[in-house]
Amino acid sequence: MIFWLAVGFTVLTAPVAAIPVRSAHTEAELISEVSSVQPGRPFWVALRLKMDPEWHTYWLNPGDSGTATTLQWQQPAGVQASPIRWPYPQRISAPPLASYGYEGTVYLLSEIQAPADLKPGQKLALRAKAEWLECKVECLPGAGTVALELPVQAEAAVPSAHADAIASARGRLPVTVADWKLRAAVQQGQLILRATRPEWFAGEIGPVIFFPEQDLLIEPAAPQVLEARPDGFLLKLKRSAVGAAIPERIAGVLVAPAGWRGAGSEQALSARVALEPAAAVLSAGAPDLAGLLVAVAFAFLGGIILNLMPCVLPVLSIKVLGFVQEARTGHSWRYGLAFTAGVLASFWLLAGGLLLLRAGGEQLGWGFQLQSPPFLVILCAVLFLFGLNLFGIFEVGTALTRLGGAGPTGGLGGSFFSGVLATTVATPCTAPFMGSALGYALTQPTWAALLVFTALGLGMASPYLLLSLSPALLRFVPKPGAWMETFKQAMGFLLMGTVVWLGWVLGLQAGVGALAALLAALVVLGAAAWALGKWGHMAAPAPTRLTARVLAALGIVGALGMALVGVEQQSAASSGPTQATATPSEGIRWEAFSPQRLAALRAAGTPVFIDFTAAWCLSCQVNERVAFSSPQVREAFARGGFVMIKADWTKRDATIAQALAQFGRSGVPLYVLYGPTAGAPPRILPEVLTPDIIVKALQELS
Amino acid sequence: MKRKAFVMAALSLALVAANVSTVQADALVGQSAPSFTATDTNGKSHALADFKGKYVVLEWTNYDCPFVVKQYSTQAMQEMQKMAAGKGVVWLSVNSSAAGKQGNYPAEKWNTLAKEKGAAPKAILLDGDGKIGQLYGAKTTPHMYIINPEGKLIYNGAIDDKPTTDAATKPQTNYVAAALTEAMAGKPVTVATTRPYGCSVKY
Repeated sequence: MIFWLAVGFTVLTAPVAAIPVRSAHTEAELISEVSSVQPGRPFWVALRLKMDPEWHTYWLNPGDSGTATTLQWQQPAGVQASPIRWPYPQRISAPPLASYGYEGTVYLLSEIQAPADLKPGQKLALRAKAEWLECKVECLPGAGTVALELPVQAEAAVPSAHADAIASARGRLPVTVADWKLRAAVQQGQLILRATRPEWFAGEIGPVIFFPEQDLLIEPAAPQVLEARPDGFLLKLKRSAVGAAIPERIAGVLVAPAGWRGAGSEQALSARVALEPAAAVLSAGAPDLAGLLVAVAFAFLGGIILNLMPCVLPVLSIKVLGFVQEARTGHSWRYGLAFTAGVLASFWLLAGGLLLLRAGGEQLGWGFQLQSPPFLVILCAVLFLFGLNLFGIFEVGTALTRLGGAGPTGGLGGSFFSGVLATTVATPCTAPFMGSALGYALTQPTWAALLVFTALGLGMASPYLLLSLSPALLRFVPKPGAWMETFKQAMGFLLMGTVVWLGWVLGLQAGVGALAALLAALVVLGAAAWALGKWGHMAAPAPTRLTARVLAALGIVGALGMALVGVEQQSAASSGPTQATATPSEGIRWEAFSPQRLAALRAAGTPVFIDFTAAWCLSCQVNERVAFSSPQVREAFARGGFVMIKADWTKRDATIAQALAQFGRSGVPLYVLYGPTAGAPPRILPEVLTPDIIVKALQELS
Repeated sequence: MKRKAFVMAALSLALVAANVSTVQADALVGQSAPSFTATDTNGKSHALADFKGKYVVLEWTNYDCPFVVKQYSTQAMQEMQKMAAGKGVVWLSVNSSAAGKQGNYPAEKWNTLAKEKGAAPKAILLDGDGKIGQLYGAKTTPHMYIINPEGKLIYNGAIDDKPTTDAATKPQTNYVAAALTEAMAGKPVTVATTRPYGCSVKY
């Protein structure tokens, strides 16, 4: 080992070229920020690792697998080298595992303190043994001794050709800022980080990811759930499943591509916080009253508008029919209340389920039940039977007498059920005003969330409630008569249309085999309903009636059972993305959503449009057909050089749910526009799109 | 009609419940080790329940992973396996590499390779569908587990304290040997959970 080289002749200002070391897939070289050293002055060097494409090396905490790169300095006394200063890593996913590391090129930094007794004209020789693990899928160890010689001179150090690269690597080191307040707690298998933004900070912080320095603190592969708060955000992380002891203080790095001190500023924040009781951390921000009131008002308004959405229309017609029938009987308020109760009960059930799962760390959002093929099958079957009922293929119980106006027995239950049905089919249409209210609700304490959902249900039920409470308005409702039978049958076709649409969604989610299973089940259901109508009515002899009913019941149960089993098998077989993803539509080339791709595009300042959509979201489908069919829109996007990204949420997808949550949303549609300025906050377009809205928004950006 | 409403409500609840139950389980120290049955490289079936009353060591392995290579090239793994066998401990090597991925071999090749290395596990279990690996939450090769005679997991984690592939680096503590020694002497295991290091399991 040669440490010091006293060189007698002229000192060159350029450093002696260091020779890179190569392993199978990585090139390692020791580089310096300066090309000459001043005695007694510190300077930066870096171990530069250039990995082949797709290969990676590891951060100080490698995550689920791998091992950190190490440097063993071989310096004589007097030359101090700091331990590796790690630029923030990226998460490298290999489901079900994930690692923390680097792809491409990384600069592992170290600060060197040059001894004060160095003599100008000497050379300072640096030498270290580097060891790393390089992995793609397979892993290979890499090692080598890297060395560098720098001339010593009395004058200030001269920057080297690597100065810029090292300075930019230093920009990736986590910073400690006092004005972002961080707190942490552990609750129910989650590590919760709460960040309060400084008052001067006006930007969007956007997606945030936490990299723990400690072993066994969190599950590296688990989704990290970001919840926006009025004063900052909460980051919910799944605790390590093996349940090792929880440290008193947690240490790690929070990374936000948007920058912690405004656009273009440092992206990595050093997080070193003591754990506090969960209640203290979570309750620190009680929902602000004004925000809650606005959300409640918007939810109510959104609920009313929801009635006009294409999702609710088929059920709405049934409801109108019911009203015509019940209007004349008096006490119609009872039906209005029953309908309202049905709406509220189902909203609470959906909200409760959603909040419960959210508490368990699931990545769900509004409309989650329509991402479940079995749920779609059952909904199709119910709507199909309902339609057959409207066609008159079979009658349920007292329906005949009810139509004759004899009395509304069973009508209350019917009203309640219409409410349930209306809510169930309404969820795919997050109407204007509702998207943000729902997104807000899900970041709030349970009681506040339930308040918002209640307002939503009340809004949706309010037109009927009003009609039923005020008999004067009933004058405008037409008189019953023979036309009602015709109207009723016509309404059956609307329901069949809904069944076709849901069948299409099921086909996208679980494949054509599942759709076939559903259609076969519908045929059997049709036969069962037909048998019930032909032989199961009250006029038939008792034994015939009983046989028909038993057979129909068996048929319905059997058909549903077979369809559910069939769909289960089919959906297990098709786990890829839905067909709607990444295919050109309306002449636009869509890319599939990926946070990494988005971050890369944003960093490069490429304009991006993201369409958060789902096949089961009717308003999304309508918006897209209307907005993107316009040549002006397509031209405007093309002119602006926009990369068009489609985030298809037809199936459950934690990444997309997380991205939605980062925009404070829990459901689709959501349209996000990023302009050409890197780091600028995105623009959110309204839930109802027209070509004009898009063209205007694009003009304002440029 | 009312009944239908209840059926709908019940179905929604059932769906919610079904979603909840998909949470992944990992093997936790202090709890019963998840039971499993697997076929070894000689076509023989082994159930964890068969070894009740004995200590069982599970060693996740992949002979092509450099961390595993180091353990075998230095004879560290073989010595542990022999020492364990001498004390009546059942040592099971498990391979969870998926078909076509690194470390997934036909049974005969496993036997040949194990013989070449002088490996001495009781059996090498083939877990190509990754079921046992995911059941235990095995993340790396090597990833080590120890189960006591009562069927409780008493160690989950790394093999030793030197996460390196460099054969010259000698570990100070072999966690598995230490835990076995402590447990067999009737003492509690001092270090019972560590972060496993190594290559990722090729699920």
